[in-house]
Amino acid sequence: MKTTATLAVISLSMLTAIAVSAAEHPGKEYIEKNGYKGPETCETCHPDTARKFLDTVHWKHASKVTNVDNLDPKEEYGMKNRIYTMCNGNDIVNNLKEIPKNAEGKTKFTGCNTCHPGNHLSDVGSTGKKAEQAIDCLVCHSGSYDFRQRKPSKDEQGRIVMGQDRSTKAALSITKPTVKNCMVCHESAGGGVLVKRGFAFTADTDVHAAKGMTCVDCHKTRDHKIPTGFDPNNWANDGVHLSCVGCHTEKPHKDEAYNRHTARIACQTCHIPRTGGAVAKDFTKWEKGSDGFYEPTTLKKEANETVPVYAWYNKTVSNTPHFIGPKGSRKDKSSKIYPFKIFIGKAFYNQKDGKLMSMDFAPPMATGDTLAGVASAAKTLGIKDYKPVPGWQTIYFGSNHLITKSKALNCVNCHGVNGVLNFKALGYSDKEISKLTNPEIYFNFMIKKQQEDW
Amino acid sequence: MKKAVSVVMALTLMALGTVSFSRVAHAEEVKMIGVIQKIDLAAGGKSATATLKDNKSSKNVVISITDDLTLDKFKDHRIVEGDEIRCKFETEGGKNHSKLFRKTAGC
Repeated sequence: MKTTATLAVISLSMLTAIAVSAAEHPGKEYIEKNGYKGPETCETCHPDTARKFLDTVHWKHASKVTNVDNLDPKEEYGMKNRIYTMCNGNDIVNNLKEIPKNAEGKTKFTGCNTCHPGNHLSDVGSTGKKAEQAIDCLVCHSGSYDFRQRKPSKDEQGRIVMGQDRSTKAALSITKPTVKNCMVCHESAGGGVLVKRGFAFTADTDVHAAKGMTCVDCHKTRDHKIPTGFDPNNWANDGVHLSCVGCHTEKPHKDEAYNRHTARIACQTCHIPRTGGAVAKDFTKWEKGSDGFYEPTTLKKEANETVPVYAWYNKTVSNTPHFIGPKGSRKDKSSKIYPFKIFIGKAFYNQKDGKLMSMDFAPPMATGDTLAGVASAAKTLGIKDYKPVPGWQTIYFGSNHLITKSKALNCVNCHGVNGVLNFKALGYSDKEISKLTNPEIYFNFMIKKQQEDW
Repeated sequence: MKKAVSVVMALTLMALGTVSFSRVAHAEEVKMIGVIQKIDLAAGGKSATATLKDNKSSKNVVISITDDLTLDKFKDHRIVEGDEIRCKFETEGGKNHSKLFRKTAGC
C-alpha cells in the first residue's frame, strides 16, 4: 500500500513536471512590459549565461582537438581556421564582407562566419561585456524569429554588421531549440542546402524525427556545451560526446545474433545504410550563376541518394594534406566498423611545402578568379613563399544521421552475395571471407525472421 | 455472346489501364532554377504559390507548394522574394506541384 502511494506521488510529480515544462516560458509579463533588449533580458533569469556561452564552440567556432593527427595540442581548431576542401575558406580568410562588383556591377555580402550567432562586430571568439551583449539568443531559442532581420549591412562607420531579430514578438515565443532552429545554419553549410552533411532530419528520412524527437533530444546540452559524436571531419567540440548507446545500451536487439555484432560493428553501420550531400567539389574552377556571381563547381546528391563506405575506426583521425579520415584496424580492439560519406575536393596546394592552401571567396565569387582568392587568403595569413598547384583531397565524413529501423541492414546485406561490406579491404583473409559469405551463417536465422514477418 | 462480352471487357480494361498509365507518365518531373518574383501564402498557411522566373527561358512559372518545411521558410522569411531557387515540380490538373524547393545559396 505504502509502495503504491509512493508510486502515485512520484507519477503525479512527473506529470506536473511535464505539464510545467510544456507550458510557455516564464517571464512573458516582464518581456511584454520591458521589451526585449538582447542577452541582458535573458540574464534577468539566467545570470552569467552569456559569459559562459562565449566559451562554447558555437561562439568560438574552434576548440582544442585531441584525436586528430598533425595538430598542435595547444591550439584551437574549427571552422574559424581549418583549411580543407569541403569549405576551402574559413572565418579568418573568408570573413564576412562585401565582395567586389561582378561584371554586371552587382555586389553582395558573403563570408563563412555568416552563421556566427553574434553581430559580426563581436565576432568569432570575441570576449568581454560587448561580446556577451552581442549574442543572438533568439536565433536558436525563438519559435517566431523573423529572418529578414538577420541580414548583413553596413553601419554608418562602414563596418559590416549582422542584423538580429530582437523584437518582443520573437522574444515572447522562446522555446527549447527546435529542429528548425538548428537547421537554419546546419542544413545550408558547405555552400547550399544539404550539401555538406547531406542529411535531412525529417520524418521521411530519420526514425528519430519520425518519433517527434528534436536535435537536442540527443544532443542534450548543458551550459550551451553541445555533445557531438566522433565524425572524423568534425573536429571542434565542447568536450562532451554522445553515442547511440547512451539511450539504446550495448545490447539493444531482441536477437542475440545481432547483439553479438555490436562489439565490432557500430550501430550506424546497419542503421544508416544511405548517405547524401555533395560528393565532390572543385575550388579551382567556379561556375557562373544566373545572378552573375560564381560558386565552386559542386557535384551534389540528395539525402539518402548515395551509399556509404565502411572502414574500421577507433575515433582517432588521420590528417594529411590529401586525406582526412578514420584510423583503426581489425587488430585494434578499440576499432569498430563504421559507415562514412566519402567526399573528394580539389583545391590549390602550395608546391613549396605540399600544404593545402585556403581561399578568400570574395574575388572568385565576383570574377571567377580562383588564384586571386588564394592570393588574398595567403596575404591574410602572411604566406609569401608559395606556388599554387591543383590537387585533390579525400575526406571521410561520419555518417550519423538518416537513421532507419525498418530499412536497417540485415544478415544478407553484408553476408550475402555482393554484400555491402568489402571484407578483403577490412582485413579478412580469403578463407575467412569464404566462411563469412557462406549462407550457413545466416540462412536459418533469416528464414525464421521471414516466417515471423509474414 | 459470352466470348464477345469477355472481349469487350478485356478491351475496356486495357483502355483503362492505358489511360491510367498515361496519366502517370504525363506527370513528369520538371527541373528548374529560377528567381522568386512573388510569394502568395494562402490564408491559414497550409499552401502557397511562388512565381519563379526561369533562368533558362526567362518565363514566369507559378509553383504550388504544400510541404510544411518550405511553407515554414516562407512564414519566417528564410525564403523571400529575390532568392534563387532550385525547384522540381510535376504538372497535374493545370498546376505545377512542387516536389523540391530549395535556395541555391548556402553559407
